Amino acid sequence: MSTSQQNGICKKKLRLLVVEDSLSDAEIQVAELRRNGFDVSADITDTGDRVREFLATISYDLILADYSLPNFSGMETLDILREKHLSIPVILVTGALNSETAVECVKQGVTDYVLKDHLARLSTCVRRALEETRLRQERARAQEQLAQKVEELARSNCDLEQFAYVASHDLQEPLRMVAAYTQLLAERYRGKLDDSADRYIGYAVEGATRMQALLEDLLAFSRVGRNGFVRKPIHANVAVDEALRNLTIAIKEQGATVTRGTLPTIVADRVHLVQLFQNLIGNAIKFRGQEPPRITIAAEKQGEEWAFSLSDNGIGIAPEHRDFIFKMFQRLHTRAEYAGNGVGLAICKKIVERHGGRIWVESELGHGSTFRFTFPATAADRTDMKEADHELAQDLVSR
Amino acid sequence: MSTRMDVDILLVEDNPDDLELTLHALRREHLANNIFTVRDGEEALEFLFCNGKFEDRDSDHPPRLVLLDLKLPKLNGLEVLKKIKQDARTKAVPVVILTSSKEERDLVASYNMGANSYIQKPVDFEQFREIVRNTGLYWMVINQQPMSSPAQSAAAAASH
Amino acid sequence: MSSHKILLVDDNPADSNLTCEVLATSERPAQVNTVQDGEQALQFLHRTGKFSDATRPDLVILDLNLPRKDGRAVLAEVKADPDLNEVPVVVFTTSHSPRDIARCYELGANSYVSKPGNLGQFFSAVRSIEQFWFGFASLPN
Repeated sequence: MSTSQQNGICKKKLRLLVVEDSLSDAEIQVAELRRNGFDVSADITDTGDRVREFLATISYDLILADYSLPNFSGMETLDILREKHLSIPVILVTGALNSETAVECVKQGVTDYVLKDHLARLSTCVRRALEETRLRQERARAQEQLAQKVEELARSNCDLEQFAYVASHDLQEPLRMVAAYTQLLAERYRGKLDDSADRYIGYAVEGATRMQALLEDLLAFSRVGRNGFVRKPIHANVAVDEALRNLTIAIKEQGATVTRGTLPTIVADRVHLVQLFQNLIGNAIKFRGQEPPRITIAAEKQGEEWAFSLSDNGIGIAPEHRDFIFKMFQRLHTRAEYAGNGVGLAICKKIVERHGGRIWVESELGHGSTFRFTFPATAADRTDMKEADHELAQDLVSR
Repeated sequence: MSTRMDVDILLVEDNPDDLELTLHALRREHLANNIFTVRDGEEALEFLFCNGKFEDRDSDHPPRLVLLDLKLPKLNGLEVLKKIKQDARTKAVPVVILTSSKEERDLVASYNMGANSYIQKPVDFEQFREIVRNTGLYWMVINQQPMSSPAQSAAAAASH
Repeated sequence: MSSHKILLVDDNPADSNLTCEVLATSERPAQVNTVQDGEQALQFLHRTGKFSDATRPDLVILDLNLPRKDGRAVLAEVKADPDLNEVPVVVFTTSHSPRDIARCYELGANSYVSKPGNLGQFFSAVRSIEQFWFGFASLPN
């Protein structure tokens, strides 16, 4: 809405529709507004048809309507507005109106009402109604922008993840060929060619094997939260059992023992929950100290969250590295010391955060580590995270 | 009652000696956390279709492997096999016939009916144990099993 | 006693070569015929076209991603054919996808083994397939 200059005074421009059968009453209302800082241009009518005609051609800032007219009721104006999906504020300007009727009218969508013998209130009402409309429009615009951003982001993430998945997936086959045949070469021809050949083949094998491991890790990372991330109530013990089954060989070889306290049922994606435990337990076994690995898993309810802990008696982590280790591809040791690509904990972090939790570590060098992570305790049983994002976007737009 | 938990192997065997040998051989290799035994064809079907005695079983978690004898009371093995392989809910479950029958026609009928594999029980005790062990190893470790249920496969399909 | 016969269906010569090498190390090496696409696989099994002299294999080792007719179609046809459906088919493929696995079992695959990426594991997998099906299972004549 704009302002206009008149005698050096700024007046607010107001495009007004007055639904009133008494011309003189209408003129009084317009005059009242003009006296109070409004630059009014008004149309006056008292029939539904004319109201429709006016609304079709002109964009009004406000409607003043009499409650009862011979040909038309002021409330019917609201119906017409709803029909045309217009959200112009309506102020009822009327003779006597009992308070119940007044309240009913407001409930039905009238912004405010003013009695004809109390017209002094009119300009304040009008100002308030216009301000509310302005705020509402701004808010809707902001939310629409936000919703758009959310959708764009979701789409962009989706694209990226798909790219990562396809790239890694398609790279696996030719890589497998290189890895397999360089290994075969190494086995068949070791010592039969010259020393350089043995060395070169060795480097080729090493390169290929590392690429394979890297691709597997990348695939695992990109798999977290791709389409179809299905969260259901699952008992943590089930996930731990499966993780331990997958780690059978390592557990046996290192003589590891895993004990657990009472664990809860949480809402999570089963595959990812297993992966989470598997990575953490696997690390605890891999980075063992002198003694056989002893791992303890526990959980306790803290407010609206379940706080899990996974403690080990391994080599521990220096405090300055506590955040670093969760980053992609960050390692604290050379490959000669410990195998791995440094993706395991990044995957754990992604899984936990995807579920709405946090993960961190408490540790000291030489004194083992305790990894702590949280899962929301009362997540609504929402499936597909992408669906959830989309729902959020829709919701914002429709407000 | 352990019917609520995921059953890895459903063993359908009515001969108590064979049953004990089989269980022993499987357990020694730690091939399965949870082996469930039924003694006749009717119970086998009730277990797999989650009705009768086993109504409270979760139909979303069929066993990962069925070891099925042919000579069974109440309903013979081939009938059981037929019912399993002709029902969309259960046809993907790996069923390995484990039988003393040396009849060629039993063998052919079984494969025709969709048995995943057919194993003849050796008479010799050591060989029996060896064969069960290798069968278990192949089907539980080397072989990839289908997802637990059509619903879960659909969910998995959506995620790839 | 005549040796076992295997039909190996794989379009990647590097893989089929490796598979054949492992199979050759068996105590009783099987006779292996290799075809590189789904159409040839079916011709071999039906003993038509250039394969009119072929003998029915005791075991089929089948990759899924094949040119001309893919492994799933071959599987479906073989298992729907009353003459052929008793031949055990082991799907041996790089795919780990649960959807592929489920689909193959639905189509009647006897077994599904994922091709491992690591050479040692690949050797073990092929050896295990050969040992189980020819050493422990009973097959139709």
